Formats: sequence, structure tokens, C-alpha cells
Amino acid sequence: MSDDVILRVSDLSTRFFTTDGQINAVESLSLEIEEGEVFGIVGESGSGKSVTARSLIRLIESPGRITSGTIDYRDEELAEAVREDYPEAVDGAFVDLLAIPEDVHRSLRGTAFSMIFQDPESSFNPSLTVGEQIAEAVEVQRRASSNPRSTRARTRSSAYSLRSYAAAAVLPGRGYVSSDSKDRAIELLQQVGIPDPEQRVDEYPHEYSGGMLQRAMVAQALAGEPDVLVADEPTTALDVTIQAQVLDILRDLQEETGMTILLITHNLGVIARMCDRVGVMYAGEIVERGSLGDVFDRPTHPYTQGLLGSIPDLDAAGGRLQPIGGNVPSLLDAEMGDRCYFADRCPKAMEECLEKPAEYPAEGTDDHAARCYLADHPYEASQALPEDYFEESEPP
Amino acid sequence: MNWQRVWRSLRAEFGRSPMAKLGVVLILAVFLMAIFAPFLATTNPKAQDLSRANEPPVGFTDTTEDTRLVDGERQTVTVTTRGTLEYPLGTNQLGQDMYSRLLYGARTSLLVGLLGTAIAALAGVSVGIVAGYYGGRVDDGLMRFADVMLAFPALVLAIALIGLLGPRAVDIPDPFVAAGLVSDMPETTVLPLTVTLVVALVNWVWFARVARGEALSVREKNYVKASRSLGASDRRLMLKHVLPNSLTPILVLATVQVAVIILLESALSFLGFSGTTLSWGFDISQGRDLLATSWWISTMPGLAIVVTVIGINLVGDWLRDALDPDIEGESGGGMG
Amino acid sequence: MRLTRFLLRRTAQGILVVWGVITLVFLLRFITPGSTIDFVAPLDASPELRQRLAEDLGLNKPIYVQYADYIVNLLQLDMGNSLLKGRPASDVIFARLPATLELAIAATIVAILFSIPLGVISATRRHQPVDYGATGFSLIGISTPNFWLGIMLILIVGVNLGWLPTSRRIIGFGPALELLIFEGRTIGIQVWFEHILLPSITLGTYFTALITRLTRNGMLEELGQSYVEVTRAKGLPETLVKYKHVLRNTMIPIITVLGLQMGTLIGGAVITESVFNWPGLGTLIIDAINSRDWPLIQGSLIVIGVGFVVINIVVDALYMYFNPQVTFE
Ligand SMILES: Nc1ncnc2c1ncn2[C@@H]1O[C@H](COP(=O)(O)OP(=O)(O)OP(=O)(O)O)[C@@H](O)[C@H]1O
Ligand code: SF4
Ligand SMILES: [Mg+2]
Repeated sequence: MSDDVILRVSDLSTRFFTTDGQINAVESLSLEIEEGEVFGIVGESGSGKSVTARSLIRLIESPGRITSGTIDYRDEELAEAVREDYPEAVDGAFVDLLAIPEDVHRSLRGTAFSMIFQDPESSFNPSLTVGEQIAEAVEVQRRASSNPRSTRARTRSSAYSLRSYAAAAVLPGRGYVSSDSKDRAIELLQQVGIPDPEQRVDEYPHEYSGGMLQRAMVAQALAGEPDVLVADEPTTALDVTIQAQVLDILRDLQEETGMTILLITHNLGVIARMCDRVGVMYAGEIVERGSLGDVFDRPTHPYTQGLLGSIPDLDAAGGRLQPIGGNVPSLLDAEMGDRCYFADRCPKAMEECLEKPAEYPAEGTDDHAARCYLADHPYEASQALPEDYFEESEPP
Repeated sequence: MNWQRVWRSLRAEFGRSPMAKLGVVLILAVFLMAIFAPFLATTNPKAQDLSRANEPPVGFTDTTEDTRLVDGERQTVTVTTRGTLEYPLGTNQLGQDMYSRLLYGARTSLLVGLLGTAIAALAGVSVGIVAGYYGGRVDDGLMRFADVMLAFPALVLAIALIGLLGPRAVDIPDPFVAAGLVSDMPETTVLPLTVTLVVALVNWVWFARVARGEALSVREKNYVKASRSLGASDRRLMLKHVLPNSLTPILVLATVQVAVIILLESALSFLGFSGTTLSWGFDISQGRDLLATSWWISTMPGLAIVVTVIGINLVGDWLRDALDPDIEGESGGGMG
Repeated sequence: MRLTRFLLRRTAQGILVVWGVITLVFLLRFITPGSTIDFVAPLDASPELRQRLAEDLGLNKPIYVQYADYIVNLLQLDMGNSLLKGRPASDVIFARLPATLELAIAATIVAILFSIPLGVISATRRHQPVDYGATGFSLIGISTPNFWLGIMLILIVGVNLGWLPTSRRIIGFGPALELLIFEGRTIGIQVWFEHILLPSITLGTYFTALITRLTRNGMLEELGQSYVEVTRAKGLPETLVKYKHVLRNTMIPIITVLGLQMGTLIGGAVITESVFNWPGLGTLIIDAINSRDWPLIQGSLIVIGVGFVVINIVVDALYMYFNPQVTFE
């Protein structure tokens, strides 16, 4: 166990129980993120990136459920605070975020970790000012820290009278957010480069442009000075120049504060520009991981190779993932089978691939690993599956 | 509009929702009651038998005190009446059979509800499409007029109009009686004409608003613009493009409007502004002064209204959930 | 700022609608079969008397002159003399107005007090017994004719249980309040409350059911929006998420539908008054129509029309308050 690991996910599975059947959106996923690094997750649309992100902060709602795994987060203070009540959640300085109760977990949101969402336009409440919403994020932490720094006290600090709830439904800005928090919201807006923050703070989301909203979201996510920032496609909805600006802001903030960033994207250009280490996600699994150099220069998994082959110029900021031939798997449990999930699209599929490969170390740094037999031994053309193998056995 | 798709989503939603099934069952039951009333009725609903007045429903007994002359002396006697199967839902103060009246009342409610909705829809959709399609002055004028109409609560306007025009009714011959299949039943069904026209008049505005909204959006579609530039006539465009596109929301609205109009009709009959005495609302008003002694006279027809309207609202929910049109003012029945 | 500009605009529009209402009410007399004079004059009136009456009432003048007179008089709040009561129609109407307003306001309070919490509970405990109960209640509530509900309440609470009076309004809220303040006696308020309780439940049930339904469905829809997840990710307490964010946004569709349903409230008041012999505008207008008391009919219709326009302006202002995205252009 490396000393500077801050987040250690093991065997995480998240499933959705829909009327169409069980969807295995995240499948026995394990990964380690080190303090202060930018870790990238890349994968096609529907590969389970957002569900992974939401699982990390326990925001999976019915019909979804995290069905197994642990998410160990390193925070000595927290470990001390919960050791007594939830000894099974604590392992040294690590606390399993899935084993603590909801209210303790909530007290960590915004300050231990925080999230930037995919679509800025729908991520703000349209009927409250942007400033109010950022100030809320500040206020949550302010109230928490004005109490003795015991986690239990922190959760209780959010106690709030029934009258205030009714008032909150009818009167915005009354009852929860203090003017100090509002001032801090202005500072934050300024920090992410929004012009005229004093005026902008009182405007509504529909008065902001997409790029500005995304910056406002960055501001909101930073309000609690988080240790880990999960950024789920922070730039996908933006046009190219604004994408670059938002990435620069993130980069600067990261260098300033030393926070850890988990950056999710399907843009390889973004990964190349921002990340120290990368995980490639396919059908709910991490199929290859390693340092940026490992993955980009020595891709081992055919899926990664396909991804890289499909993007002509890594530096082109608009370099989105081109689909590799074949269909993205449905993730329906019933259709997944017990083989390498990529086999039906893999140009190098062999007979042994009909059994699920383990994760094998690959050439490069110690971190480099791939969930593919090719990492273990070279390709054997004699074992190749006939090209139409899956078309016959698995009609679309 | 893709009817196959509409049909498929209707079926899927129906399979999913037990409430939709309940709604369809209730509505079917009321329709069967209304259509086959002459066969199901046990007594002519208009026939009076004063000697059997105010009898309770079967299974209930009713005790009243009465002053009588016994051997030339005034005495208070207790009279106990037991409900009989002959009048399963009891009788009113005229000795009319509440059960048979309930069946015939369904006819009135459905006639007014369906016909009123059809007229309102026809008028409203025409006005709405014309307004939305032409826009400009035509639209402004029609919509301002609609605003004025909406400024009168439907029930108030209806009372005023009917009160002033006087209730008029049309007799529709009962085919079953005419064919000689049943005897002893009323030869005609009364359609309260003024009421039907007035409920349509106070409700067409909703249809106009929905149709106008759809027409406005269809008008901007490229294929409509293209056909217009190719010289298609306005009438043709409205019939071919605008109307079919408005059908789904109008269908949902119409379902809910049937419930609204049935409630409105019953309210009008209750207040005495009606053209027929065979109506649930009228029967409720008849029982109102006898609550202390004969609770069933008001209770039974009211339950019939509730059941019918619940059925319609459930079917409305089903259509809305399945077709998901985006319209306003679509929430449930209402007293107009 | 936005609100003031909006109110000005909306008031101007409202005045236009009121003018339309007034004109329509004026025309109503001419679509009615039979000559007006027939209703006004005693049955045995001599031709001369009829002639004189017609002249007094201005019935012989050309329509446009009658219309002008009518408007001018209305501007001075003169609606003519009630034929039934022999007093100025406006006096009769304004004497009845408080009873109707009390009823409508009481019903609205009943509705809001019960429906919104019920809808919120129902949405947050989805597929639990409370939710099924609330959904069932609201389905029945929107399907029940309120006059029948009133009669059933009279039957059960008034006749069978004998708990509450079932008709009339002995004392108005104003006088009852005066009694309480100046003489310290609570009996007035108590009597007032006992009498208004059943009528306001009768009138309020439909709205309670409707708003419960709207709140539940609105909350469920709103809870699926992405911003809700964001507020949770910030670590905001769940109750604050539900009330400050979700419920607040749910108010927008609720207000829209309520605005469209205001006619139902007034129509419902008319019929509720009739069930409970409540001496308000509703019973007045029915009496007036039955006796062809033209000044009274016209006056009550106009007052109702104006009331409706005013309520709608208030509703629109509320809508605007809750939804910062609207600009009424
Ligand atoms: N609320 C939900 N209910 C049912 N299934 C869901 C839900 N959310 C996600 N899924 C399923 O989980 C799978 C992964 O979705 P996810 O949003 O994580 O993809 P993604 O990698 O983030 O894609 P994108 O690049 O489009 O954002 C999808 O197949 C989707 O069907
Ligand atoms: S395990 Fe086999 S099928 Fe899967 S990626 Fe590797 S070579 Fe292709
Ligand atoms: Mg995603």
C-alpha cells in the first residue's frame, strides 16, 4: 500500500435494476488514486464513467444500487472520529466510505470531495441565483466548521427548524445563506475568471452562457476546498476555446491547492493535456491503466489501441473518441456472458478470450496493467476466433 | 402522426398500469348501464307509486315516527320499512325506483358529456387552428375573445345562459322500445339541448388553446413552409399537417373534458337548470331535504357520479402517461 | 422592478378584459328570448304603464345609447336598482360579497394547509402506504362533485352526528372579530367558525386533492432533475434540498394549473353556497336569474368577472415570483 494513496477503490460494483433487466454499469472496479495527482478515466459513451463518479460520492439513486466493494478514503481525522462508532469502516488511516452512515457521509461532501457535473445548464437550479447556489456550498462548510471538529457534531450542525424549511420553499435567500457566504461566493466567481462577479452573483443561470456556468460550477465545487475533485466531463458541453480556458483554470487551481483530481472524459486530448495517470474504461471495467506514457505510448489492450488509432492528432482539442467498429455493449447482465467483454469487437480475439481475462501487468512502469491475455503472452493467430463468430452465436 | 406508435405505447402503458385497467372497467360498466338501461331497469324510472315512497335500499331498514288516526284518536306510531329486492336501491319521495333512475341517469350524463365534448372540441379545434395558423390579427382577436370567455367561471356563465335562455330538451326515441324489445320503459330518452350547447360553449376555449399552440408550432416546421412555398392551399395544409399533429393532446384533453362536463351537467341539474328530471344531479337535489329520513336518495346518484368520473380520470391518466402530450389545464375533473 | 412593470402591463390587459366582460353582459340581455319589459312590468300593467316603465328604464332608446348610458353608469358604480329588492344592485351585491370572499379564502387556506405537506410526504415516501393513501384521496377528491360532498357532510356530520350546523352564516368574520377585540368575547368567532367549517371543506376538497396531486407529481419530476444531484453533492441537508430547491420549483406548475382553475373555485363557491344556504354572491345570482332581476344579474356577473381578472393577475404575479425565467413579452 503506497503511502500517498488517497482513494482506494476495490471491487466496486454498481447495478441498475430496471424493468428491462439488470444493468451492470460498474463491474468489480478497482483503482487507486494518489494524493495530488490528476487521474483520468477515459471511455466511450455508456461505458459507466458517470456511474463510477456518482458511486464515489454515493449519489446512486433507485433503481440503482452499489452492490459490492469498498471505497477507502484516507483522512486521519475522520478515521479517529468514526473509529469508535463504526470500527468496521476504519482501516488505519483509511475509512470505507460505503460503510459509514449517510449523514456522516454527507458531512464529507463538498469538503473531502466535490464534484463537477457533465452538463452545466441542467446542473443549476433555474429559479435561484447562481450566487445563492454557490453561497449554499460555502455555507454548508461554514456551519460545519463553526462546530467542534467532531464528525458527529458536524453532521448535527445542519439541524434546521421546520419553519425555516417552509420559509426556504417560498423565500429564496432567507434562512440559510449568510452574507459572509455570499461574499465568499463573489470571491470564488472572481477566482474562476467570471467578469463583474459582484453583479453576476445575483443573476440567474439562464442569464449565464454555458462556459460561464461551467466556471461557476467549478467555483461551486471549490467552495468547500475539497481534497478530491471529481470532474465528470467538465468540458464536453463547451466549445473548443472555452474548453481550453476551463481546463487551464482547473490545472491552475490544482497546482495552487494540491488537490487530487479524478478527471472523466471521452476526449483523449484532454487526458493527454491534464493527466498523470490514466484508466481506460470499457463496459463497466477498467481494462487498462498506467501512467500517461504507459497508456499512450505502449497501449496493450486492443481497445486502447483502437482508441488511440482512431484519433489522428492528440493535440487537437476537439479530438473526440471515434467509435471502434461494432456496438457499445448494453451492459445488460443477461447479455454480458462470462468472456472478455471486448471480444466481440476485438480484432485479436482468441479462443481463450471466451473466458474472462484477469488483470495482467504490462510493459512499462509498475502501474501499467491490462485486462487482456495479450498482456500475458503474445498473440497466437492459430487460436483466432473466426471473424463472424459472434454474429452467429449472438444475434443483435 | 404515427398511429402504430401511439397504439403501441397505449398498450404498453395499459399493461403496466393496474389503474388504467380499473378505469377502463369502470367506464365500460357505465357505458353498458347507459346503453342497456331499458333491459337492466326493473321498473319504469318515471313511474310513481306513492304508496311505496321513501323505501330504503335492500338490506336496510328505516324507522320513522308517524302520527295516525287510530280509532278516532291521534297516536304516534313507529313505522318500520324494510328494503326489498323490488327496489334494490330504494325509492324516492314519489315512490320511483332509484335503481332504474340510476341506469337512465347514466344515459343523460354520458349523452351530455360526450356530445358536449364533441361540440366543444369541434368548435375549439377549428378556432384554435385558424388562429394559430394565420397568427397576427386573427389570432389576437380570437384569443382576446377567449380571454373574455375565460373570465366567467364556466358554471356561472352556464347558469346565466340557461337561466336566461330557458332549458330546452329534445326527445330521442329509444331504439329498444321502438323495436318492441322491451315494454313499460320510457319511449324516449331526453337530451337536454340547452345544457349540452351551453356546456360546450363554456368549454370550447380549452380546445382552442391547445389546438392553437400546436398549430403555432407546426406552422414553423420546415415541411409546412416548404409545402406552402410549393403552393399548397391553406386549407389543405391545416387539414393535412396541423390537425393530425394536434390530435394526441386533443384526445387527452377531450377525455378529461368529458369528466368536467359530466360534473358540470350534474351541478346544473342539481341547481334546477336542466331539461330533464332523469339525471343524477336532479336526484341528488331531490334527496337533499330528506337527508334526515331518506339518506339514500342523494347518496346513490352521487356515488354513481364519483365512480364514473374516477373511471374517466383514470383513463385520462393512462392516455397522458402513454402519450405524454404537453398541455396545460389537463389536471383532472373539476366543477367547471 | 420586473414585477412593477409586469403589474402595470397586466392591469392594462385586465381592464380590456373587464371591458369585454361588461359588453358581453350587456349583450346577454338581447339574446334572451322575450322583451325585457315583460319581466319588469307587473302582469296586469296597462299599456300606458308599460310604456312609462320602458321609458324610465331607457328601453326605448337605440342600443348604442343604452350601451353608452350603461357604461357611464357603471363607471359611477351605478348598476341600477334591483327589481327584486328595490335597492341599488351595487348595495345588494356588496352586502353579499364578504360572505363569498370568506368562503373562498377559507377554502383556499384549507386546501393549501393540507395539500402541499400531503403531496411532499407522498412524493418522498413513494410506493409506501402514505403515498397510496394520498394518491387515492386525490383521485377521489378530484372526481367528487362538491355539492354532493357537501350534502354527504351535512348528512354525516350535521344530521347523524349532530356536531355542526349545516346551513346559514349567522355572523360574518368582521363582526365576529369586532366582538372579540372590543368585548373580549370569543363566541362570535366560534359561531363563525362552526358555520364556515363544512362549507369550506366542501369547497376546498377538490383543490386539496388537485394540489396534492400536482405537488406529488411535480416533486417526483423535479427530483429527477440533475441539479438535485448537484445540491446533494454539495452536502446540503436533505430537507433543504427538498424544500428550498425541489418544492420551490414544483410551485411553478402548481401555480400555472391553479391559475387555470380559479374559475372552478368561483363556480364551486356558487354551488357550495347553494348547498349550505350561504348568503353570498352565488345564491344571489341564482335568485337573480330565476327572477330575471337584470340589474342584479348584470352587476353580479361583472363583479365576478372583475374578481376573476384580479385573482388571475395575482396568480401571474406569484408565478413570476417563483419563476425568474419569465419575461412577459
Ligand atoms: N438512472 C439510471 N437508470 C438506469 N440505468 C442507468 C442509469 N444511469 C446510468 N445507467 C446505465 O449505466 C450505464 C453507464 O452510464 P454512464 O452514464 O455511466 O455512462 P458514461 O460512460 O458516463 O457515458 P457518457 O459519456 O455518455 O456520459 C448506461 O448503460 C446506462 O444505461
Ligand atoms: S482478452 Fe482477448 S478479446 Fe479481450 S481484448 Fe484481449 S485479445 Fe481481445
Ligand atoms: Mg457520463
